Amino acid sequence: MWTELMGRLSGDVAAVSAQAGGAAGLCLAVVLLCRWAAIHVERETLVSLLRGFVQIALVGLILALVLNRGLLVGVVILLAMTVAAAMIASRRAAGLKNALLLSFCAVAAGSGVVITAMIAIGALTAELSMLVPVGSMVIASAMNSCSQSAERFRADVTAHAGQVEAGLALGAASAAAVAPYVQSAVYASLIPRLDSLTSLGIVWVPGMMAGMIVSGADPIYAGIYQFIVMAMIFAASSISALAITLLLRARAFSPAEQLILRRGAAAQIKR
Amino acid sequence: MRKASSTSTFHQRPSKANQAAKLETRHLSRAIPGKAVVNDISLQVHPGEVLAVVGPSGSGKSSFLRLLNRLDEPTGGSVLIDGRDYREIAPRELRRRAGMVMQMPFLFPGSVADNIAFGPRQRQEAIRPEQIDALLTRVGLPGYQDRDVSLLSGGEAQRVSLARTLANAPEVLLLDEPTSALDDTSERGIEELVLSIIRERQMTCVIVTHDMPQAARIADRTMVLEAGRMTAIGPTPEVIRVD
Repeated sequence: MWTELMGRLSGDVAAVSAQAGGAAGLCLAVVLLCRWAAIHVERETLVSLLRGFVQIALVGLILALVLNRGLLVGVVILLAMTVAAAMIASRRAAGLKNALLLSFCAVAAGSGVVITAMIAIGALTAELSMLVPVGSMVIASAMNSCSQSAERFRADVTAHAGQVEAGLALGAASAAAVAPYVQSAVYASLIPRLDSLTSLGIVWVPGMMAGMIVSGADPIYAGIYQFIVMAMIFAASSISALAITLLLRARAFSPAEQLILRRGAAAQIKR
Repeated sequence: MRKASSTSTFHQRPSKANQAAKLETRHLSRAIPGKAVVNDISLQVHPGEVLAVVGPSGSGKSSFLRLLNRLDEPTGGSVLIDGRDYREIAPRELRRRAGMVMQMPFLFPGSVADNIAFGPRQRQEAIRPEQIDALLTRVGLPGYQDRDVSLLSGGEAQRVSLARTLANAPEVLLLDEPTSALDDTSERGIEELVLSIIRERQMTCVIVTHDMPQAARIADRTMVLEAGRMTAIGPTPEVIRVD
């Protein structure tokens, strides 16, 4: 296995690493352009580029090492990815008690349901080489929706605290008082996913489809399979967005239906 | 010059003192980390009575009012409505019975009629168009049903806010500086309207105001709050002096 791995590193991997350097160089050139326009993203971009490269190269290495292992290894990898996704998404719910657990539940609900459904309909085989790459796409999308809807819900409710309390003061249930903000949070997080579906094939050919075609798959098959993946990503995003928003809604009020998710009241939110 | 008297007068208005209190607070307190925003307030308000709560900014006036319909949770003491601890009443029912008009109207996007119907709709109760018309006529806005709330003036919006609260048929009316954002003409109009509705419906009213002359114009009794503590309460002419 090591011999095979070393063989890869010395061949294609070395070439693609040089190309990655070129891509990073282009990004740094754009950063310089931003600097010229007084937009300072130098440090953040550099850290993100380095971090992204190291992380994805490590994942590639791990996959290369475990590619022929059993399904259990794949499940463990996906679980670890879900935990990492929850940690990133939970930053949008910072200040709320159990933010990490809530984010994990939301991401796991979206990606878990969809990955299981994909396996059930045969769109995803329970092989590690397919499960991990496609599963990670689903998890990443669930994470993005989770973050976006959490951020939007939190921002809307704190910005409209007066309106929410006006509803409560008129005898509305807490769920009714924030219903417009639940709807807008979930919808806002789905806009990128809806746009992706709408523009599929017209504005962009996703990387996965392109990769399949490059690998010799039938373009029609690759296209339809890409649609399946995109549809599943949309489903995972929807479930995660809805789950985190409803979980946050429950945490936004006390048992006596008092709004506790207020600007500058992070310390009071924990209960 | 306006100022509260330095003497603490704690007697009841004679005509109301023998009635059962509609609203009562017993050692009502609310503390947040490092600060007692409302500190040990005990008082009674009777049916048909208007109690003004006055005091400097940050004295806890609005905090006190928010405890009365349980928008905030007391950390000590209790509130009684008709002699019953309000923790025994479901919060939604409590807030219907103790309606609040806020400093800003906070109308919901849509028409005036949508806003008026909001409260009854929460209880799956329909409010007929003629009832909406009657409420709007009562607050001086006849024919406003279909107006978009975004097109209303500040005074009109506050009148709609009052009508929206009245649509719930509250027994207690809590007013949180309802005229502070209005010009003098609108302010007097709202004051007269509120007073006539309170008299007509025999409602119990607690109004928070920083405006002593306003308290003098409309309140039977006045309570002075300073740093969360009640420093005076009694018939308005005895508690505040408007020079």
